[in-house]
Amino acid sequence: MTYIEKPVVPKVIKFEEPTAKEYKLLNMMLNTGSDIYQGACKKRGSTCKDEYRKVCGVAYMDPKDMAKLGVTNWESVKVTTDWGEVIVSAVHSRDAPHEGTIFIPKGPWANVITSHETYCCCDPTYKGIYCTVEKSDEEVLLMADLMRAVYKKYVEDEEGIPELESLGEMPVFKKK
Amino acid sequence: MAYEPPVTDYDEIVENCTCAFCGCNCDDLDFLVKDGHVVGVRHACRLGASKVMEDMDQRLLVPMIRDENGELQEVDWDTALDKAAELIAGAVRPIFYGWSETSIETMKHGIRLGELVGAVLDNQATICHGPSLQAVQNVGYPVATLGEIKNRADMIVYTGSNPMNSHPRHLARYTTFPRGWFRQRGRFDRTLVTMDPKYSDTAKMSDIWIGFEQNGDYGFYNAIRAALKGKEIDQDYVSGIPKEVIMELAEKMKNVQFGALYFGLGLTHTLSKQRNIDMAIEMLTDLNEYTKWVLTPMRGHFNVNGFNIFMAYEMGFPYGVDFCRGYQRYMNGETNTIDLLTRKECDVFMVIAADPGAHYPGGAVKHLAEIPVIQVDIHWGPSTEIADVVLPGSFIGVECGGTSYRMDGVPIYMKKAIDKPETCRDDEWIIRELLERVQKIKDEEAALASK
Ligand code: SF4
Repeated sequence: MTYIEKPVVPKVIKFEEPTAKEYKLLNMMLNTGSDIYQGACKKRGSTCKDEYRKVCGVAYMDPKDMAKLGVTNWESVKVTTDWGEVIVSAVHSRDAPHEGTIFIPKGPWANVITSHETYCCCDPTYKGIYCTVEKSDEEVLLMADLMRAVYKKYVEDEEGIPELESLGEMPVFKKK
Repeated sequence: MAYEPPVTDYDEIVENCTCAFCGCNCDDLDFLVKDGHVVGVRHACRLGASKVMEDMDQRLLVPMIRDENGELQEVDWDTALDKAAELIAGAVRPIFYGWSETSIETMKHGIRLGELVGAVLDNQATICHGPSLQAVQNVGYPVATLGEIKNRADMIVYTGSNPMNSHPRHLARYTTFPRGWFRQRGRFDRTLVTMDPKYSDTAKMSDIWIGFEQNGDYGFYNAIRAALKGKEIDQDYVSGIPKEVIMELAEKMKNVQFGALYFGLGLTHTLSKQRNIDMAIEMLTDLNEYTKWVLTPMRGHFNVNGFNIFMAYEMGFPYGVDFCRGYQRYMNGETNTIDLLTRKECDVFMVIAADPGAHYPGGAVKHLAEIPVIQVDIHWGPSTEIADVVLPGSFIGVECGGTSYRMDGVPIYMKKAIDKPETCRDDEWIIRELLERVQKIKDEEAALASK
């Protein structure tokens, strides 16, 4: 086995100063980029699997920020930017402290909310995007379901997408 | 992670293979092969090994076309190729995007196809190191090969890059740890500096971590330049870094024997984009007044540099080359994929060995959902979910040979180690076949028009 089913994340329970106030919504800065788990899983080809959702559909957050929101490892949060919103799991970052910023590894989840603005330099702005983070009880979608729900390329009834059956963790196509 | 015993059950070892993952192109891998499959990889890092020992569940094995219900359906090669050729031949503003994970030999046919139909040829540089190439055009490129760094460098700086996550053997094989001719003690003879707002995995093992503010790169390099020129810095903090630290660092950088700076997407993806890199390169120009400094962008895919070198050599421009007027044109912000997609100009999109579904911002993918997409790749990925024609290629460096360029511009021939699955074809064959079929359609059209 050259991979693991989900990233190893620290579980921080001791804070220097306990956060007394709970927040409903945090204003943060979003960074996206590559990460070793994301790279290994993507290039291995396991993008339909739960493994990919666990390595890319996550927001690495400072433990203090997570305490403020009242979420623990692998609980869902909704991240919203000017370009869209997406549900990802929150996890304690191994690069903390970085209060006020979150990191989502590059992938379909992150890209729902990144900016396509290139400012005439060909390159979209993948880093340094203002976002808000709030607690959510929705589930993080698998890759195929996410692509269907966001880009709706081959669905007729767009309203009915949430009720559709999941496309699952294996490629779906008609064999000859 | 649990202990894993070494792989002992294999038929043969194929030595000196090249890794087809990141821009380090490590060419010392040994593949352990059993029953025509790679079951173990020696010397590779986690990334390289995981790519070579791919997930066969999601391997694209048969050509497919979307039917009227929006489901992918297996078809034979002729049908799929004809369908793709028909789409390409009928397109007004096609984009051929990708190329970075395939061989130079494939690109050769790609250029001819692009010229024939007036397409835009672009590669992943457009969403990663495009600004670096622009900066190189602006202010130059003091480059050195990785071998030179290994033998000489005594200060290594990574800025806006996290090689421990994206190029794991970069430090181990080329820059920091190996013993070199003038650096006999390896790591002990070198200073490792990381400049990154994040306390990244690379920062954790560095001698010096400069954690400037988010979007603070531009100001920070300017401050170093001022310090190098002997100017007084009049603010106490620049980009969140105390002035004394900046002076001290400038002094250190001036006094090394051979410095190497590697920069990553932290510079190109933030707001100042190519201006960050302009500034980093000019900082090196200033440093070269005192001592020797070189720089190299940390290229992501194993052949992303290859496309740029190949295109620049053949067509004069590194990426985003537009043939719609019958000759090559290059205009930043106009002939690049993301701009073309967000302006909704493109009408047929072919992706070769890349994954726009996973790596384009949503605003660009939305247009892909409105137009036909042709995919040539080896794995079922997010792009397959929005593809209309799927052509299964083969794995360069494992299942077929090909030339690639390392991040420092050294060409490396990647050899074949095992046979490809029977139903797949080489990328080179697929693109050549498309070229021939499109040529035929065009000839027929021309014959009809002349009647
Ligand atoms: S460092 Fe890059 S080229 Fe080398 S083995 Fe790892 S992924 Fe492959």
